[in-house]
Amino acid sequence: MITFENVDVIYPNGFKGLDDVNVEIARGEFVAIIGLSGAGKSTLIRAVNGLVPYTGGTLTVGETVVDPKNKSKLRRLRSKVGMIFQQFNNVGRISVLNNVLIGRSAVTPTWRSLIGWYGAEDKEVAFQSLERVGIVDKAYNRASALSGGQQQRVAIARVLAQDPEVILADEPVASLDPPTARKVLGDLRRIQQDLGITCIVNMHHLDLARDYADRIIGMRAGRVVFDGPTEEATDTVIEDVYQRSLTAEDIATADFPVSLEDLPAEAVAGVVAGEPDRKP
Amino acid sequence: MTAVAERTSAEAGPARVTRPEPPTPPLVNYLGLVVVAVAAFAFFWWTRDDTSVLYLPLGVTTLWAPQWPLIGFLVMLAVLALCWFTRTGVMAAFGALTVVIFSYWAGSNIHFIDRIVEVPGRLTAGNTREQLIGYFNPDWSYLLFSNVAGTSRPIWGEWLITLCMAVVATIIGCFIGLLLAMLASPVSSFSKTSSQTVKAINSVVRSIPDVGWALLFAAFIGGTAYGLGALAAVLALMMFNIGIVAKLLGESIDAVDPGPLEAADAAGANLLQRDRVAVLPAVMPSFVSYSLYVFELNIRASAALGVVGVAGIGGELSRQIRRMSQGYENVGAILWALVIVVLLVDLLSMWVRRKLL
Ligand SMILES: Nc1ncnc2c1ncn2[C@@H]1O[C@H](COP(=O)(O)OP(=O)(O)O)[C@@H](O)[C@H]1O
Ligand SMILES: [Mg+2]
Repeated sequence: MITFENVDVIYPNGFKGLDDVNVEIARGEFVAIIGLSGAGKSTLIRAVNGLVPYTGGTLTVGETVVDPKNKSKLRRLRSKVGMIFQQFNNVGRISVLNNVLIGRSAVTPTWRSLIGWYGAEDKEVAFQSLERVGIVDKAYNRASALSGGQQQRVAIARVLAQDPEVILADEPVASLDPPTARKVLGDLRRIQQDLGITCIVNMHHLDLARDYADRIIGMRAGRVVFDGPTEEATDTVIEDVYQRSLTAEDIATADFPVSLEDLPAEAVAGVVAGEPDRKP
Repeated sequence: MTAVAERTSAEAGPARVTRPEPPTPPLVNYLGLVVVAVAAFAFFWWTRDDTSVLYLPLGVTTLWAPQWPLIGFLVMLAVLALCWFTRTGVMAAFGALTVVIFSYWAGSNIHFIDRIVEVPGRLTAGNTREQLIGYFNPDWSYLLFSNVAGTSRPIWGEWLITLCMAVVATIIGCFIGLLLAMLASPVSSFSKTSSQTVKAINSVVRSIPDVGWALLFAAFIGGTAYGLGALAAVLALMMFNIGIVAKLLGESIDAVDPGPLEAADAAGANLLQRDRVAVLPAVMPSFVSYSLYVFELNIRASAALGVVGVAGIGGELSRQIRRMSQGYENVGAILWALVIVVLLVDLLSMWVRRKLL
């Protein structure tokens, strides 16, 4: 379904985001990508729908080769590839239903979008998507008025309204509290299985990846350093991916919305020492 | 003083570390600033006009010096000294010195101080008293019951025209401003080129003031004399509104959260769809509040536009100002009514804003 052949991404500033990636993902697979912050997980996922243009190799989704230069071809591809974000990326000031209808953009004539008059079948699809994620009762609420878990469900419904073959999810539960994270990820997993959608999900929490994914891909410095079924992703293997021993933080079910890795090193040192930093 | 002393003796406090001293700015740089001050003084001396001269008795001899450049120089030195003793950074001191130099330069070119000391004399000598009495005894019956000179149109009708001009100009101008803002921001525009082009057009539109537009339109299509005064005013206000809304709203669009835009992109939306579903809702509150603000401005501006011979209460105001020798009560009535109308519009727009947002 999705094939990376020697794919490179070089950012405009010359930084190599992906380095010779070769991955083949089958239809209906649920793949988790793990790796430390900065490993290139987002870059890999964004290359698939062209949000980050790849600069070398060949990237194929279904039958189509992804062509970052060809805008209209890219739009056609994106209509079948949904994307979910860490920050939900809903439009806060409009209703949940209108957010979900954004997922219908590619199949809606522009003039309908402009005057905000969607057809009956578009609305039907949107409502079905909301039913699937279980928040149909919130259809006419403002998106910004929902909790984090509900907002991410709106985002999933928006993606489902695209009738996607592939769903890309960039740290979809990293902003949610642990029980909600599990519920949302469980919903995504169930829907993905029901509809036979191929799913690529970035995570930095090993336990979630192990519980929900069929297959785990480990990344470090823009390269794929592990690729195998979930059972093979033992602690030793993951320690190799992370290049350090696993901490309770990596595996613990109790999860933090913000991981310590995201903080600057000094701040972490300060927190550990239990004192604000003080210059000598 | 005592409180501090008590505090330090009473409390053990945390372990004492030597507290850092404020850093002393380098003296050399301050001397550089003094050189700048001297250079400025030299320039002001060079370009002085000898209106007033100070004689400085030095015991053995008496020196003379042009009064204002010398005072300016002393102010500059005082500012630098203050900065030095408060250990202000060199850049901040330079900033303060620049403010002094520029205000001296600009003020001396228009003889600001020389002229402003004359003002009290003029106020007592002229007809200020009658003017003030006139303004504070506005002739309301003129405003409510008379007609515009030489016509059968009532004065209060001019208010209605002013209001209608403001409404039409606001609606059309803000709508066009919205479109131009969308085209001007790189976030929502087609390409870098289109965004740069539209930005350049916006700057031109904005650089011509409202009165300038009114003069242009009155010259192109004809003013009140041809019955087109209201149209000229509306077009002028429209251009004025387009400039403001395109500028302010363009900046709001630049600052829009990129997340939802990316989500729309990822869903395969085209540019117009993205602008409509993700950008427009995000900037709608700003757009509404800018539009209301612009409406207020229009009411005010239409009074100034009257001076160039367009319709509305501004036209009547300028007519009354021209015949002011016959009494100040009419002008007073119009000005007071203007204050009241602007206040009412202000209240109204505040209320709408609160309801809407
Ligand atoms: N737009 C960009 N320009 C330059 N470098 C980037 C850009 N985006 C990401 N990077 C760099 O690419 C590397 C991988 O980033 P990313 O894929 O976001 O990592 P992850 O999602 O695994 O945390 C990081 O070192 C990051 O600094
Ligand atoms: Mg990332």
